[in-house]
Amino acid sequence: MKVSCRWLRAVAPGLDLSPADMAARLAMRGAPVEGMVDLAAGLGAVVIGRVEGVRQHPNADRLSLCKVNGGNGPVQVVCGAPNVRAGVCYPFAPVGATLPGNVRIKPVRIRGEESRGMLCSARELGLGTDHRGILELAGQFEPGSAFAGSVGLDDYRLDVEVSPNRGDLLSHVGVARELVGEGGIALAALPGVAGPQFAVRTREGVVEGEGIRVRIQDPQQCWRYMAALVRGVRVGPSPEWLASRLRAAGAHPINNVVDATNYVLLELGQPLHAFDLARVAGREIVVRGAREGETLRTLDGEQRELDAGMLLICDPRGPLAIAGVMGGGESEIGADTTDVLLECALFNPRSVRAVRRALAMSTDASYRFERGVDPAGLERALRRAVSVIVATAGGVPAPIALDACPRPWQATVVELRPARVERLLGVGFDTAEIAGLLEPLGYRCRRMADRLQVEVPGHRSYDTLREVDLIEEIARVYGYDRFPDDLGAFRPGTVLDDSLLRLHDRLRTTLVGRGFLEAHTTAFAPAGEGEVGVLNPVSVEESFLRRTMLFGLLHGVEYNFARGARDIRLFDMGAVFRDAGPGQLPRETSRLAVAMTGRRQPGHWSREDLPWDEWELRGLVEEVLGVVVPEGYSVEPGTFDPAFFEEGCEYLLRAADGSVLGGAGRVRAERVDAPVWAGPVWALEMELGDGTRAGPETAFRPLPAFPPVERDLALLVPDSLPARQVLAFVERTGGTHLVNVSVFDLYRGGEVPAGFRSIGFRLRFQSGHRTLTDAAIDRAVRRLVHRLKEEFGVEPRGITADSPR
Amino acid sequence: MSEAGSLVGELRALEREALDAIAAACDSAALESVRVAFLGRREGRVSTILRKLGGLSPEERPAAGAAANRLKRMLRAALEERERSLARDGAGPGEVAPDLTLPGRRPWVGARHPVTQVVDEICAIFARLGFTRARGPEAETEWYNFVALNTPLDHPAADEQDTIYLAGGGLLRSHTSPVQIRILERHKPPVRILAPGVAYRRDTWDATHAPAFYQIEGLAVDEGITFVDFKATLSEFARQFWGPGTRVRFRPSYFPFTEPSAEVDVKRRTVRADGTVEETDWMEVMGAGMVDPAVLENVGCDPERYSGWAFGMGPARIAMIKYGITDIRTLYENDMRFLSQFA
Repeated sequence: MKVSCRWLRAVAPGLDLSPADMAARLAMRGAPVEGMVDLAAGLGAVVIGRVEGVRQHPNADRLSLCKVNGGNGPVQVVCGAPNVRAGVCYPFAPVGATLPGNVRIKPVRIRGEESRGMLCSARELGLGTDHRGILELAGQFEPGSAFAGSVGLDDYRLDVEVSPNRGDLLSHVGVARELVGEGGIALAALPGVAGPQFAVRTREGVVEGEGIRVRIQDPQQCWRYMAALVRGVRVGPSPEWLASRLRAAGAHPINNVVDATNYVLLELGQPLHAFDLARVAGREIVVRGAREGETLRTLDGEQRELDAGMLLICDPRGPLAIAGVMGGGESEIGADTTDVLLECALFNPRSVRAVRRALAMSTDASYRFERGVDPAGLERALRRAVSVIVATAGGVPAPIALDACPRPWQATVVELRPARVERLLGVGFDTAEIAGLLEPLGYRCRRMADRLQVEVPGHRSYDTLREVDLIEEIARVYGYDRFPDDLGAFRPGTVLDDSLLRLHDRLRTTLVGRGFLEAHTTAFAPAGEGEVGVLNPVSVEESFLRRTMLFGLLHGVEYNFARGARDIRLFDMGAVFRDAGPGQLPRETSRLAVAMTGRRQPGHWSREDLPWDEWELRGLVEEVLGVVVPEGYSVEPGTFDPAFFEEGCEYLLRAADGSVLGGAGRVRAERVDAPVWAGPVWALEMELGDGTRAGPETAFRPLPAFPPVERDLALLVPDSLPARQVLAFVERTGGTHLVNVSVFDLYRGGEVPAGFRSIGFRLRFQSGHRTLTDAAIDRAVRRLVHRLKEEFGVEPRGITADSPR
Repeated sequence: MSEAGSLVGELRALEREALDAIAAACDSAALESVRVAFLGRREGRVSTILRKLGGLSPEERPAAGAAANRLKRMLRAALEERERSLARDGAGPGEVAPDLTLPGRRPWVGARHPVTQVVDEICAIFARLGFTRARGPEAETEWYNFVALNTPLDHPAADEQDTIYLAGGGLLRSHTSPVQIRILERHKPPVRILAPGVAYRRDTWDATHAPAFYQIEGLAVDEGITFVDFKATLSEFARQFWGPGTRVRFRPSYFPFTEPSAEVDVKRRTVRADGTVEETDWMEVMGAGMVDPAVLENVGCDPERYSGWAFGMGPARIAMIKYGITDIRTLYENDMRFLSQFA
């Protein structure tokens, strides 16, 4: 809501705050000021200039030579505006003036004629966008007097941020009420207006008089419809006091009748609409729902197709306006209008909202109706508007205004318990203090024994319906900053720290310790990368929800490749989404993705660079699995997501119960847009579950008292036999004293026949009860070799006894 | 002099001789012959002495044995050290020491995302104030995102958040507030939770907008919680996060699910080198308020008995202010040069 500080002072004569103080006060009342504009900025040197005479420029068709009186005698000015006329006043920038935008006025010659100054358009003065002609000033002005002061532009415009519950702040009176209280509001009489009087004839659904009839067919949507007639108006430009007020509040003047309705909208918050009475067929206004197939060309020139039931203002012939949203072009006020029907109505906020949303439009009127227009303020607004029209366009108001009112407004009364106020706010207020805080805003308080009965004023009837709404008002008016902030005791909550977030913490610690950088990717993906579609996507790249984390993370890899990075280590944790069937929310799970490429350690002159490879990846995978599934896991060659991982170079990750958790491997070359110098990209992606998986509690085992013995056993294993099988067999059959088996060597070539490799296993034997003898160990190894030969047909290549290390 | 005494004396003499020989060895071949001469299993001079241990009385044996073994260990260490030093500069005795000013080997440095760091810091402060962390889904229903939070869909308040809807039904939560409902449905007060997570709005990417952004929801519900507790807890948080002496301002505001509602501002302050503090502008850091009784009723919590407060905070914005980041997109580009600055 853009408000003019002068206008605020006009409706609240006692208001003597500076614009900055007004802004500060409003902020602490819940209506922060987003912007403050000095409307006179840059206009200091602009004066009123009266054009004394106009003649054609001798050397240019479109230019005229004007004799301008800017206070210091007439000067010649070359002017290109089509609307320059003798005898009229315009804003005039004399030589030496600087206009907004740092335009400096100098004496010039244009097509051979001297020009000493400039007559200005609204745009040149920074007052708007209108540049069709120079700004014609209607009214009496003294040439040479300061322009800003003469037209009321020595003013500040505040841009007040109004929250959706405070429709009452969408007017100057509403904003002023927050600053000075209801008692400080006094609408000044308008220049040249002796308040025209008319009587109001109120009926329920249909009302007649002055030769017209108003009928509300849909009282659910139209709660009240008032209509006043003004006959014999002369439509023309508004006088400067009115036009400049509208401009100060950010509105554009149109003509005196329409400007009068906008003036009242901005002053009181009540939207009004003026119809050309001659265009209302049958002299009848019908408020009804649209019929199937009805259309209306609205004021903005659009042909609107109306849905059945949309509330319309009609005559017996058809629609005239969309109720509370926008008028029709047909019944618009034009230059030839003489008789005006002025509508001042109250519509159901929900129905206005539904209609304007269906039509994808929003107007000053619909914006206010949606947020609630003061149901007690209609008559005042109608009288105000009629007097503005009479003041600016002449005419005579009809003695009777019609008022169809199927739903008369009754003030809500809310019970307020001071004990409850204290219980919620932590500070006690007695009934007198409460009344002292609420009454200036228009609330009426009746004090009972232990409570107050608070009558809510019309302008707050939409958002103050409950006791707690009044408690907020008390806190707001008392001032949030006056409440103490001493920290008291608290009871611990019943909610345990979330297990998945704890798992995220542990994984971050692990991966960051390994030198990985945490990335943040979003849940959006293009078609093909997700199953769950977005109904209203911002872009095609964001038209689905991701199925995998890797999609976004690999983008991060590409981003870094594109900036010359070779060594990349990124991870991210987040939600992925799967379709769960029609009408169901998507199935959402938390996943981890890790991607890396390049060297696994920073380079150093003392050693060779080592790139990431499958063994380093597998080690990382097992470390991460130990965090995610501490109860156990398996890592086997397999396929988890063939879309990402290269065939034959992928691990399948499972939990101890066999459920698939994810995959890891070398990323398919076509998945990453990589420069030629880039190394292979390795990645892993896995489900995290809910973080509640736990391993066995850590329990202390006594340290062995007897020394271990080791034997190295090299086996010739055919390439067709996976090492894992041999390893598992050795673990199973190595005897009770075999405590550990590791692979220490892998060798091909030499005396190893083709199709075989030599795998070196280091076997560690240990007993908790005695020192093992060489003889016992040798027996165990011989037995093992024998069983291996039986099981797989593999032969030992050598057995070495080695001292423990 | 006992036999043992003479043995120990021999060992001591051998020690000096062996150490001199090790120091004099100028390549690994020489060093190996020194090793064989002193520690060789058969002919080595230490081994020879050790064999004499058998001739000692049982009382004398342990002390002499220990002395011999100590010498063995010492010579092995001296040999290794010399071996390393020969390998290092590949040169003989009296050569220059390694240039210790050369850089050492350092591992890659990892880092949590700056927004995560801010989230973690906020959660840690609130943990000290008795808050645990909670979580809710990102794909939500209109009930949890709007209706249960006292935001009717036909009210202009629903427009404030341009919501992303899913083709198959449901929406992406436009704030983390649905977690309030999900937690209160399942847990009896007292509830003191913090719910960090991602929320979504239909915004196009620019310097200050992202369609997906982190938010932290806070909620405290119990008997007798008041507006004073609300102000006190959030002020305490602000002082712990932005430093003691930080000024906090509560301004009236509007959210459908809180009443009274407040916007919380923090006065930005810079501590200068001389220790003085400069205060500049007010920063909006969160929207907050007392939980609306309608919200409590929606989860079956009696508003006459229980009251509470809640807030929503944007850690990305706070991170941007804290680190001087001017474009929110930087947080999602995942440029390693950016991320590694937060190690």
